[in-house]
Amino acid sequence: MTRNLHRLLIRSSAIALGVVGFSASAVAHFQVLYTAEMAPTRGKATQFTMVFTHPVHGGPHMDMGQPEQFYVVSQRGGDSEPKRTDLMKYVTPIDWLSSKKAKGGEAKKSTKAFNASLPRSVTRSLGDHIFVLQPAPYYESGEDKYIQQFTRTMVNVGGVPGNWAEPMGLPAEIQPLNKPYANWTGGVFRGRVLADGKPVPNAEMEIEFINHAPDQDGHRFADAGEVELPQDAYGTQTIYADAQGEFTIGLPRAGWWGICALAIGADTEHEGKALSQDAVLWVQVKDMK
Amino acid sequence: MSARFFCTSSFLFAALIFTGSFASTTAFAHSPICNCYNDDEDDSKVVCEGGFSDGGSAEGVGVKVLNDRDRVLINGAMNADSTFTFTKPDDDFHVIYDAGPSHQVIIYMDDIE
Repeated sequence: MTRNLHRLLIRSSAIALGVVGFSASAVAHFQVLYTAEMAPTRGKATQFTMVFTHPVHGGPHMDMGQPEQFYVVSQRGGDSEPKRTDLMKYVTPIDWLSSKKAKGGEAKKSTKAFNASLPRSVTRSLGDHIFVLQPAPYYESGEDKYIQQFTRTMVNVGGVPGNWAEPMGLPAEIQPLNKPYANWTGGVFRGRVLADGKPVPNAEMEIEFINHAPDQDGHRFADAGEVELPQDAYGTQTIYADAQGEFTIGLPRAGWWGICALAIGADTEHEGKALSQDAVLWVQVKDMK
Repeated sequence: MSARFFCTSSFLFAALIFTGSFASTTAFAHSPICNCYNDDEDDSKVVCEGGFSDGGSAEGVGVKVLNDRDRVLINGAMNADSTFTFTKPDDDFHVIYDAGPSHQVIIYMDDIE
């Protein structure tokens, strides 16, 4: 009797896990913080696009609320002090159009996204510029919970490194162990999942490729994806960090790769609903030519 | 040629190769990097930032501003912040960031924005 009950519990857990796993792969939300080039040779005016979407499918997109914070922490060389610059004054709302072929998306429907056109002075100096977006929590009705993805995109000017590997003490964060802006196709990327600066053991993570090229001025992703997915599980790669919160992923294709650690932040409730505080880090990959 | 001489020679040859490789690795592990731009706050001035590919400080690295005839117009060094600011000369000019032999970066006036 006890053994049968135990088996039943295991089966129930397995079914529950299967449902959770399916849900996770079916609704892999990613906060995109996109700019055309992560590693320019010299500082110049840059445009950032903020879209909450499913990048491997090119949609559907979700309406973003007004971001809570958008700032950059810059550092030139290992000995200088990091400098934080608030960028909220550059954040403006835009209507992001759905791709005609977005899976489950509605053609021409627009969703609320944001743009930040930054003057040259922001990234004028050599070194690392770590852009941090703290979006407003998004209510996901399908899961009856809020999602808030603390997102980082790094830009390096000229090849002088700075603070790219330093933790920032965010509620949810992926600490890179490789430079996110200098990766060859076929290489690997390593990182560590942190919450309030401390490693998160065995964190569940999702990896997605921006499969539909962003058109920053046209406010949409390309209709056609670069890669044909053989099956849904290929769209969102799911991995787990190890006991130290560290992970390694392969980078099989040039472009932008998003890495997300799920529900690792300390805050788990927002306006009476469950809250998932996630960490997103973007990595740019280039072919050796 | 005795066996002992051969062994000693082989050892010295291997040591030389090792030393050479190590020096090359060290030299190439930190490339000099310099970028100059017009000062946004004072158009009469140019700001140069220096650094190395390993993140090392450029403090004390020599900077020269020369005219077309390679006459040195300004001679200075990167400050503690790894920057060097100078007033634009009347002549056409170029900047040399001099981090030692084979570690020089030349920036021409037309590339300064």
